[in-house]
Amino acid sequence: MCNGYLPIQMRVDKVLTENPDKTLKTFELSFLKDNDRENFKYMPGQFCEFSITGKGESPFGIASSPTEKDILKFTVNRTGSVTKEIHYLRPGDIVGVRGPLGNWYPVGKFKGGDVVIIGGGFAFTTLRSLLVYMLEHRSDYGKITVIYGARNPDLFIYKEELEAWDKRNDLILHLTIDKAVEGWTKLCGFVPTVTKEVKLDPKSWAVVCGPPVMIKFTLPVLKEIGFNDGMVYTSLERRMKCGIGKCGRCGIGSKYVCIDGPVFSLEELKNIPEAF
Amino acid sequence: MLKIKKENINTLLEELMKDYQVYAPVKNGSKAAFKVIENPDDIFTGHVKSEYSPKSVFFPQSEVLFEYSKEGVSIPEKKEKPYLLWGVRNCDTKSIRMLDKVFGNARQAPDKDMYKDPYWKQKYDTSIIFNFACNAPLTTCFCNWFGSGPFDESGSDIFVVETKDDLIFKGISEKGKELLKKLSVSEISDKKDEEAVSELKEKAVSMMPEVTDISALYEKLPKLWNEPIWQEISSKCVNCGACAFICPTCHCFDVSDEGKNGKGKRVRLWDSCMFPIFTMEASGHNPRGNSVDRVRQRVMHKFNYFKDNYGTHLCTGCGRCVVVCPVNLDIRDVIKDIINYELNKKVPADV
Amino acid sequence: MLQELKDTVKKLISEKKVDIVIGWKRGTLPGSASPLFIQTQEDADELIFDSTCRNNLTAYLTKDKRKMSKDYKKTGIIVKGCDARSVVLYAVENQVKRENIFLIGVPCEGVYEKKKIRAAVDGKEILGIKKSGNAVTITGRDFEIAVPDKDVLSDSCIYCRYPDALEYDVFIGEPRKEVDVKDEFAAVKEFEKKTSEERWEYIKSEYSKCIRCYACRNVCPSCYCNECFVDQNNPQWIGKTPEMTDSIIFHLIRNLHTAGRCVDCGSCVSACPAEIDLRIMSKKVEKEIKERFDYTAGLDINEKPVMATFCEHEKQDFIMS
Repeated sequence: MCNGYLPIQMRVDKVLTENPDKTLKTFELSFLKDNDRENFKYMPGQFCEFSITGKGESPFGIASSPTEKDILKFTVNRTGSVTKEIHYLRPGDIVGVRGPLGNWYPVGKFKGGDVVIIGGGFAFTTLRSLLVYMLEHRSDYGKITVIYGARNPDLFIYKEELEAWDKRNDLILHLTIDKAVEGWTKLCGFVPTVTKEVKLDPKSWAVVCGPPVMIKFTLPVLKEIGFNDGMVYTSLERRMKCGIGKCGRCGIGSKYVCIDGPVFSLEELKNIPEAF
Repeated sequence: MLKIKKENINTLLEELMKDYQVYAPVKNGSKAAFKVIENPDDIFTGHVKSEYSPKSVFFPQSEVLFEYSKEGVSIPEKKEKPYLLWGVRNCDTKSIRMLDKVFGNARQAPDKDMYKDPYWKQKYDTSIIFNFACNAPLTTCFCNWFGSGPFDESGSDIFVVETKDDLIFKGISEKGKELLKKLSVSEISDKKDEEAVSELKEKAVSMMPEVTDISALYEKLPKLWNEPIWQEISSKCVNCGACAFICPTCHCFDVSDEGKNGKGKRVRLWDSCMFPIFTMEASGHNPRGNSVDRVRQRVMHKFNYFKDNYGTHLCTGCGRCVVVCPVNLDIRDVIKDIINYELNKKVPADV
Repeated sequence: MLQELKDTVKKLISEKKVDIVIGWKRGTLPGSASPLFIQTQEDADELIFDSTCRNNLTAYLTKDKRKMSKDYKKTGIIVKGCDARSVVLYAVENQVKRENIFLIGVPCEGVYEKKKIRAAVDGKEILGIKKSGNAVTITGRDFEIAVPDKDVLSDSCIYCRYPDALEYDVFIGEPRKEVDVKDEFAAVKEFEKKTSEERWEYIKSEYSKCIRCYACRNVCPSCYCNECFVDQNNPQWIGKTPEMTDSIIFHLIRNLHTAGRCVDCGSCVSACPAEIDLRIMSKKVEKEIKERFDYTAGLDINEKPVMATFCEHEKQDFIMS
């Protein structure tokens, strides 16, 4: 019988520390078994339950793109007991992964349209997956605009890639930090303010991910610009435990974030007071 | 319909125990709980309804998902006979059928097996339920609010009525009918038995409380989201998990690794949305940080959300939470208060 | 007495001496009472006080669940002897300011224990319970029995030395004064006579019934930690399973956390859906505290908490050398 609670084993290949405070690390994992590798088919926006047996399990959005073959990437912010243990991992360690779980950003619907990606802090993980995926299929999409904000320059993740994306001419990247610091040549200001200033086309698709307060203030800006609720997507975070719609911990209204989400359009969230 | 003399019940049970693992109410401290019996005499029929619900037969309070060690993970092999539940009341039968909608199925992807719960299915799919009619419902019973009643057969595999001298059996599901055919101890019931059954039924139904019309409940609830009624309802709740743990339909759980030195087991454990840590996130943020939110969640889940997803209320009116609540937060009153609540009424400014 | 109680509460509300009064109203089950939060004069009409008024309502003053003491400037609360001792405990432990609480003392004749009533009628449903003198009549669908009241009163009440509130702002009715209960630790002494194996067997059989619903903790006035040790996961102190070892650790640590702080109100005993004998260990700890430090929780608002003080002459024979 198929068992959705059983993790597959994966090996940690690379550990990359994303910020000087070492609170953010990206883990690149590879599959131990061939059939796990073949069966693991995912899309940008999906998540996994990442576990170290004996220490517990936590959900993380997949940061790699399905176009990056044979690996999975997760960026983990150290906050609680499980993430603390994950941060101790070294290359060669074996971990458990369940997934892919949940739904994904509707990249099929996005085809032919302009896409705006708005992210904040370390919640850029599945947005990276989405961006890498769309850049691999660049001709499928119109204009791609990225607004990415962090409190200070240190707190951006994927810094090398950001530099590379910045140089591309088929993508508009707006990086912003909350308060000016010496040496910073990009934008200053909160994400909602930048969103208002950069003149977005309201006919675009939009994907917004970030800390709750960023989402709370960015969504009204998009509405003001004229974005359609059905075309604005966000990915919700809750304490998903089982990931397969049973344990009830991630309920928001009648939806379970783990199976009905984590990706929702604003249209879907409109009547769920608990969503934000 | 078939019947057996009461003095032959043990013979019948012994026969059933050959092919089935039989669960029935047994004494658990001063209360009754469904446990596997080794002897027909273990069965305890002194209480109208087991104080602990039989959901634990299929969904135990703590259940090993797998064992882990440095070598990897493994699922403990279980070779069990199919389960047979004896002496289940209809409120609990219905509850088990509701839980199967959650655990046995995958509402968002019905064809995907990974979203079905293998631990539930292993026990449930081959199980058979002997649903016993309630000859003397309790004053806390309110299954009739949900369209059911003490002699409701629906959901049963085999429906059983206890008359003065006999047990009368009626096969309801195909599975139940098949099993009845195989039993050696039964004789055909006659008209007199049928009369006895309808007499008992009439008496039992008359003992039920007046029905409260709950048809407006589902649609009304979302409109009350920001109303002060939730403060009123939740004010006395102490946020313990007694109601959820005693409830035959509550099914939220936690997953925890229990072990040390790299060896142990991952278990799932009943959890309750009444506990603050149920939704607490590692960051310290809690989407349901106060009692008002949590009580609202429990009521919304039972009488709105679950119906959205599965077409029925997540409550069968068994009344156990009414009995067990340490502060007498009576769900029947909660339902009535919600139904009678006047929307848009003026609220004094100081509330 | 009840009318006087209602009038007093109404007066307090109308004169705005308090913002809210916590009392009891008739519950929905026979022989039950339910907490009542009184904010208007009409609310006060629902007030009752009798042997069904089981809950120690002072738990509502501190708990995370409501934090009455934070929501309201001045809270009135109707208290039995044990309840008033909880408020003294709160004041001593700086959980509430005594001047923010208005205590309405009532004379307590003891409260019924659900568990004992159920035992008296073999777990059958009861439809009514009536007191007449020292006897209690319990009725059900097909029975009516009369039992001596000590058979259905809580052990906490049978052995209670302080049925009246010692600390109060107003007292309604006739105080019963301090009661000579002979030996309040009788049950503990009986327990101590058993061999350690027998004691262990008893503890195991009782605590293995625990379903970890935490009703005992959540109704307990002395358990007011914002985050209980069982809920902490970094580190995780104990397993979350209902297995006996985990349950025993939970209960025994709770006993230690409430050492010198338990007022023996019996709320935990009556809240427990598994009907565990929670009192034997809490009373045992109370006895130890009494013998070693001559201290009883909640009696003196000026005395420091026993576990927060140290005197050189205290017995130290428990320290292993």
